[in-house]
Amino acid sequence: MTLGRGLTGFAIVFVVLALLPTVREPLGIPVSYLVFLGLVWFWTAQATSWNILSGYSGYFSFGQGAFVAVGAYTTAVLFGRHGIDFFLTIPIAGLLSLLLALAIGALAFRLRSLRGEIFALLTLAVPFVLESIALINTAIDGGQGIIVPLPDYPDALGSFQDLIYRLFLAVGVGALAVAFAMQHSRLGWALFAIHDAEEVAEGLGVPTFRHKMFAIGLNGLIAGIGGSIFALQIGFVAVQSVFGLTVPLFVILMSVLGGRSHWLGPFLGALVIFTLQDRLSASGFEGWSLVILGSILATLVIAAPDGLHARLRRRPWPIVAAFMVPIAILWLLGVWGEPLDWVLAGMTVGAVVALAPAIRRRRIAPGPAAGIEPDSTVVSPLDLAADAPPRPADDMVKGPHGSDAPVAAGSEVIVAELAASLEAEPARPGPVIECIDVTKAFGGVRALQGVSFSVMPGEIVGLVGPNGSGKTTLVGILSGFLRPTTGDVRVGDVGVVGLAPHAIAHLGVARTYQIPRPFASMTVRDNVAMSLMFGRSGDSLEVARVAAAEHLEFVGLLHRAGARPSEINLHERQLLEMARALAQRPRVLLLDEALAGLNPVEIDNAVAVVRRIHQSGVAIVVVEHLLRVVNQLATRLVVLEGGRTLAEGDPGTVMRDPAVVRAYLGTAADA
Amino acid sequence: MTVQTILQAGIAGALTGGLYALMALGLSLTWGMLRVINLAHFALILLGAYLTFELATRAGIDPLLTVVVTAPVLFAVGGALQWAFDRFALTEFNSLLVTFGLLIVVVQLVSNYWSADFQRMSATVNPYATESLRLGAFAFPLPRLLAFLAAIVLVGGTHVWLERTYSGRALRAFAQDRSIAAAFGIDHVRLGALLGGVAGGTAAVAGMLVAVDRPLTPSSPFEWFGIVFAVVILGGIGNAVGTLLAGIAVGALAGIVSVAWSPSTAPLVIFSLIIVALLVRPRGIFVRGGA
Repeated sequence: MTLGRGLTGFAIVFVVLALLPTVREPLGIPVSYLVFLGLVWFWTAQATSWNILSGYSGYFSFGQGAFVAVGAYTTAVLFGRHGIDFFLTIPIAGLLSLLLALAIGALAFRLRSLRGEIFALLTLAVPFVLESIALINTAIDGGQGIIVPLPDYPDALGSFQDLIYRLFLAVGVGALAVAFAMQHSRLGWALFAIHDAEEVAEGLGVPTFRHKMFAIGLNGLIAGIGGSIFALQIGFVAVQSVFGLTVPLFVILMSVLGGRSHWLGPFLGALVIFTLQDRLSASGFEGWSLVILGSILATLVIAAPDGLHARLRRRPWPIVAAFMVPIAILWLLGVWGEPLDWVLAGMTVGAVVALAPAIRRRRIAPGPAAGIEPDSTVVSPLDLAADAPPRPADDMVKGPHGSDAPVAAGSEVIVAELAASLEAEPARPGPVIECIDVTKAFGGVRALQGVSFSVMPGEIVGLVGPNGSGKTTLVGILSGFLRPTTGDVRVGDVGVVGLAPHAIAHLGVARTYQIPRPFASMTVRDNVAMSLMFGRSGDSLEVARVAAAEHLEFVGLLHRAGARPSEINLHERQLLEMARALAQRPRVLLLDEALAGLNPVEIDNAVAVVRRIHQSGVAIVVVEHLLRVVNQLATRLVVLEGGRTLAEGDPGTVMRDPAVVRAYLGTAADA
Repeated sequence: MTVQTILQAGIAGALTGGLYALMALGLSLTWGMLRVINLAHFALILLGAYLTFELATRAGIDPLLTVVVTAPVLFAVGGALQWAFDRFALTEFNSLLVTFGLLIVVVQLVSNYWSADFQRMSATVNPYATESLRLGAFAFPLPRLLAFLAAIVLVGGTHVWLERTYSGRALRAFAQDRSIAAAFGIDHVRLGALLGGVAGGTAAVAGMLVAVDRPLTPSSPFEWFGIVFAVVILGGIGNAVGTLLAGIAVGALAGIVSVAWSPSTAPLVIFSLIIVALLVRPRGIFVRGGA
């Protein structure tokens, strides 16, 4: 298993690197290098913990400094002032920082209107509020600063610098291991889905609030532990040293430079940026380092937002060569600087070679390539590079990926599985889903006025009506994205008003979107795997990626399994929507204009897919403009107009209803 | 603590609120109209303040008159910045990152040139700092009164500009739907640069008034962040008049809280206020139909 092997790898890396202080003197490595490496691990931990929230889920935080500060002040106050054992203060620091993170998350992520920008600004304000509290409160700081003395520890741990190095190493490698494990498990995938399209993720069963809380909690925990050790390292904690904007600038810059969509990215960024920072201050350019780092950030975001890791993955050898050659030359000449300067020279050349081609490409093709999508409804606050960043999708599960091995009799398997999962539930008379006297008002606009609607097992209900009649609003209410102003919604026996959409999805309600909303950074196969992991099957990552193929075959999309959503056409995206909904193993499927914009051949194909889904016994609601299609498919028709039910019954009767004809064709005078 | 003390604090706070509204005005307009969250706006205010300081102390110009120089300069800088954002087609979110980088660069450059210490114009150069207008039992500190008046004039001016003139209407059309506005022949690059320039000009005025009112330090922008963004969000993003009302309200509240409890609680109260505002009226308190 990838996960197990990987974590063993981290343990080995830790043990090997922890030996460095022991072999340092025989190898003739100066102690300053140990200090340097320790700080590299500190920044690795900070950038990686930041990336778990902000890189994976896309909720950018400027509040990293608050977590570091809480960690540092916890240790400074408890150990420096009150003499509590240093090693005991580390977990306390982590815990307090975790609590702060959860408090921020509980407030921010509850906001219905929260957008990425607002979250970023909220987190920007947190450190300043805490700073003013620390400055005023003499029990914390009071403007004096706190001295952190050397702690007592067993002699076996070596000198003070050895101890600091090993502590930082533990936090740094630990953070990387956590980020790695998340990327290789459902947790990380949920965050990637939130990053791509949060509402869709919630709709197919991802408890998004819980996952965001988990991510911000980890961010706070790791950052707080790092901050606690940092307090010991600097020896004197004052508000300027922990609260300033250096911390957020560093972690953002490191992650953006290294790459935000992979666990290794922040580590690469931390290596480069901290080496640069260290060399700048060693050469007396301290006053310029922030100028340089700030400029790098601004340039990177414009020119190469996908970062080093993606570039290294695409063409590693030229970049590695560009890194090694300057080091070799400088080492052989031996006329300038010390080894760290040579490394910095190599890193600079390597980074420029890695990132430069993108700059050139941008210049040739400006405009849409840079991607202005102000009104994109996808809740994805950060816009990664236009060329798709390599997501874990590419390297994780080796087996099924890429090879489109036909799955034996996939369609029948799915029908049988769906039927079995339906039979497994207690048979119950009455509708699978119903809404009773539902009203929905948006401000002064009444989109629905007293609509009652129910779907019996095995039915295909056609929901039709002119534009603005409330069809999509009704779908939103049934799937829990909208809360009815008055009235009740029941799935089976369960009243679902007020339940989160993911909980309603787990009760067996699946929906598709009028405009397909795939997870843009995942392959077609992984889009479906998301449903299998977070829908009612609750499969593990590896099982889900195999099973996804069956669902793709069912809708006839298996040949595009390895493609990105941006590479498939509208019809295929709509089939993907269906496959993804189907993979949730729903009891009722809400198809919101799944045929809009298709040509006649594609429509017939899609209708055939809907019929096959129906064979398995899943109840279906077809929201549609095309009456021909609805007439073919539906066993019952419901007509909405102006937010009210206009007519209901079997298709033939309803379509002859004078009121319906009027609603659709206008009155005789107009016709 | 008397009622009068609290009222006095409220008045002083409301006047300071005018200064915050002035800082928030450019930020709010470029965010609302151009979808750029321009953290570098704080850098422009800082530059404006230090330029006023420099011109007043070195060249002996009356600090209030320095805007004649600084406003055109920052108009040009603001316009050029906006043009560059357009040129690179920055998304709303990336603008936040890029301008964060720019802000850090400017703060460090200011610190390198003018040092990180507090700088204050001497009383001979800046006679306004200590003066105040007395009206009955209440005192109105002159620098803040000036800031308040400037806020009313500039907010009123931009409001009229946006509502009544062709370019203002075109900008509002662009804010509502970019592609439709473009289809109707609105040249958003030029209009954007114009609005960016206007924002830069307001930053110059705000910076001048900051320099007149209080000592300067390069890290000042970080003290303004919380309260200015509170004003922007509460006032409704892109809403000039709302910004002014929010500034006055937030300033008065901060003033009263500082006196009634302690100055350290003011940021907490304001921070809580933003959260409540976002919960209750996500599009701003001072917006019609903001719920």
